[in-house]
Amino acid sequence: MELNWSTFVLEIVNFLVLIWILQRFIYKPVLKIITQRRAEIEKQSADAQCLHEDATNLKKQYQNRLNDWDQERQLARDNLNKEIENERIRQLDELQRERVQEREKIKTAEERRYIETVREIEHQALRQGAQFAARLLNIASGPELETRLISLLIEELNALAPHKVSLLQEHWGEAPGSITVCSVYPISEGQKKLLETALAKTIGQTLPVNYTQEPELVAGLRITIGAWVLQTNVRDELKGFEEFARVAR
Amino acid sequence: MNDVELFAAPVFELGPVAITSTVITTWGIMILTWLCAALFSYRIRLSPGAAQTALEGIVSAMETAIANVAPQHTQKLLPFIGSLWIFLVLANLSGLIPGVHSPTRDISATAALAILVFFSTHWFGIREQGLKNYLRHYLRPSPILLPFHIISELTRTVALAVRLFGNMMSLEMAAMLILLVAGFLVPVPILMLHIIEALVQAYIFGMLALIYVAGGLQSQTLRQRKKQGDSHA
Repeated sequence: MELNWSTFVLEIVNFLVLIWILQRFIYKPVLKIITQRRAEIEKQSADAQCLHEDATNLKKQYQNRLNDWDQERQLARDNLNKEIENERIRQLDELQRERVQEREKIKTAEERRYIETVREIEHQALRQGAQFAARLLNIASGPELETRLISLLIEELNALAPHKVSLLQEHWGEAPGSITVCSVYPISEGQKKLLETALAKTIGQTLPVNYTQEPELVAGLRITIGAWVLQTNVRDELKGFEEFARVAR
Repeated sequence: MNDVELFAAPVFELGPVAITSTVITTWGIMILTWLCAALFSYRIRLSPGAAQTALEGIVSAMETAIANVAPQHTQKLLPFIGSLWIFLVLANLSGLIPGVHSPTRDISATAALAILVFFSTHWFGIREQGLKNYLRHYLRPSPILLPFHIISELTRTVALAVRLFGNMMSLEMAAMLILLVAGFLVPVPILMLHIIEALVQAYIFGMLALIYVAGGLQSQTLRQRKKQGDSHA
């Protein structure tokens, strides 16, 4: 084993040349391309980072905007709900008021209708009562009733208080020439005398009495002394009923 | 098994210069490397293909290995250390080609590489720290240690050369002996071992060279850091 100096020197030279070859064709190009790639990757990474930051900012802005929108929406919804609630309360109040008014109207109308009905019933009852009384009197009238009415008249005239008699005489006016007595049936002589006596006492003088008959009176008398007419008959009473019914209506 | 088989004999002579098979094989490796490298540099693209990816991976792996030892001097050391690794892998594996002897089984070639490592250590160290500062580290921690430093420098260089030469020559000799004794296909497992051994020896040689060179580069730096650490303490 001995050192071959030629080989030794040549190997040194060869290796140095190999270093140059590798440096020239391998290391420089590879390191350059790796550097370029790293630069490219870093650039892309930086771009991606920028994009990421932009996206993050946009996302934040969008999130903030969404939050603002949510708040505005919530506020608008609350306002709307409040307005709806106020409107509902207002309409309910109005409805309640209208209902009360309507109820009042209905109540008033009912009361009016009730009053009308009661009045109608009363009127009808009065009319029916008058009709019934008229029919009853028509049926029940006769000479006996008339006699009784004449008796009642005579009693009434005789029972008149003096101040009433004087009051009648004051309102008498011009003194009448005669007295007209209308009846349905002929009056008996006894009743004529009693009647003339009562009349003379009432008017304070004796006047001639003319007796006539008028079947429309149904029963009773109608005595005409000048302007003064004394009604004591069924027809006039029935007329009075009718008048009362008309007035009551 | 004579000297001719064990050691590279001159194939031809160019005047006083004897060209051995070691040199010829080295030239072959250089030509092959140059052709592949030229082809690669011609076809290199930003978007790499499979071959470019593999080559970039190799370069990146070497760069990372250097950065782990001397992180501040990666770009400076890559051409030398990387070339050592690539050449040694190719040279060691060339012994697998029938009729071709590995250049690293020649002590002249390994000695040449070891001498290059020896001078590179001082070259990088002096360039980095200056001649005075670089030489000063031989006197640290005590000038008494100067002879030991010098012996260490020489012996580690010799050990570097002899380790690679011994391993590769013994591997080839073992394969040859087995072939002679056992027969034609029996050395195949030994050849498999040859591949592993070739890679391991290339790695060891390159890594030791890297450590020596990085040691020369960083001796001053480490000393300064130590001083700073002491002053802070």
